[in-house]
Amino acid sequence: MIVLWAVLGIGLSLAFELVLGRFAPGATRYVALMTLPLVAYALRTSQRSSMVVGCASGLLEDYWIEPRLFGLNGLVKTILGWAMGGIGARFDLNNFWGRFASGASVHLVDEGLQTALRRLFGEIVAPVGVASLGIRAVAGGLLTAAVLAIVSKFGTSRRATRQKNRKA
Amino acid sequence: MAAVSSARANALLLGVMTFAQLLLMAASVRGGMAASAVAAVVGVASRPAVTPERTVSGILLDVVHFFRDVHADEIENVKLELEVTRLSGELERTRELAQENTRLRRLLGMHEDLAPKSIGASVVTARLAGQSRVILVDRGATDGVRPDMAVVAWGGAVGRVVSVEKGFARVRLLSDPNSGASGVIARSRAEGMIVGRGGEPMEMIYVPKYADVVVGDRVITSGLDGVFPRGFGLGRVTVVGEPVGASKSIRLEPEVDDRAVEDVLILLEPSGTRLLAPEEPEARP
Repeated sequence: MIVLWAVLGIGLSLAFELVLGRFAPGATRYVALMTLPLVAYALRTSQRSSMVVGCASGLLEDYWIEPRLFGLNGLVKTILGWAMGGIGARFDLNNFWGRFASGASVHLVDEGLQTALRRLFGEIVAPVGVASLGIRAVAGGLLTAAVLAIVSKFGTSRRATRQKNRKA
Repeated sequence: MAAVSSARANALLLGVMTFAQLLLMAASVRGGMAASAVAAVVGVASRPAVTPERTVSGILLDVVHFFRDVHADEIENVKLELEVTRLSGELERTRELAQENTRLRRLLGMHEDLAPKSIGASVVTARLAGQSRVILVDRGATDGVRPDMAVVAWGGAVGRVVSVEKGFARVRLLSDPNSGASGVIARSRAEGMIVGRGGEPMEMIYVPKYADVVVGDRVITSGLDGVFPRGFGLGRVTVVGEPVGASKSIRLEPEVDDRAVEDVLILLEPSGTRLLAPEEPEARP
């Protein structure tokens, strides 16, 4: 069941990422929707599953959007899944501020790691502006908090319906 | 004990996945078969998510266009009436200039530029991040698109095809930090290289420090890079910096707004880049 939810989450994230790129391409500079399944799995399940989900979503992103380095986003999101999964296992971050901080830090580290890896593979990198990083962190944090709140509400209502059905 | 072994197992898994993906990246840089095979598998796996997305966003786009067009048509009508009057006068002047241009071209013995052979494409999605600025277009290998073809839009140059799949192609925009195009100032013919700076304005480098460049000058493609035919707009000069060494630093406002590109032309033949044939040596008596 966990695999099905992961596939659904990654598929939906990819679809929304492509829609965002079509209708509001400027927003893709600040939000990375493909990090959402990774953070959701890191905060709610195990470190291993968040790594695998991160790797899968990153590779999909690479296939559709990365022009040269296939595997770049996969690698970055695997590392992020490992780090966030480790933190999520030690602290209870499944509340608004925890989700916000996780989303913001994932968005920032994602940008930093991508820049470093691009430089490692001989690409020219543009200077990163502090203002755009700030906007990215806030936008990413808010988006993550909002989406995970909706997902957990949906999860709670499903659980309640299942219990009611069982009682009936 | 179990927690420690689980942490170790996860660290080991991370190591293996990192190594595998580093190999994948190295292979993709070299254009290896392994990277293409993995990419093909990922592409097939993601089709179920992308196919409905394309259908839904296509319908949404049609609805948005319908309402936008109705509003725009009314304004456009008034504008067009004024424009027709103005263009009638302009047409006369252009005819004169065209005749003069033909005469001068013949005089110089230059080749006539053919209209570049091209196909239209729609933008499927875009990624305008700081370090990677790329668009996906709905034409691919089956339509004759190949890597390194120039992509232009109404108004000017957009970017270059970097990789092609069966049904779509990835286009690296001119504003990407790894993009470059050969440009020339339309007024003074000073040449330079246009490079992207991510989200920041584009830069024109290698312009000699004594070159005549002022704010507002239009920069067009020179055709010397072998990708873009000459004459496509690149941008307008917004800042002329102090010379550093032998060259000036020039900032450009792009001619085509990356965020507003919806339809593009992929140039299948860069016919404008043909160089003049070498002159025949004069026969000696």
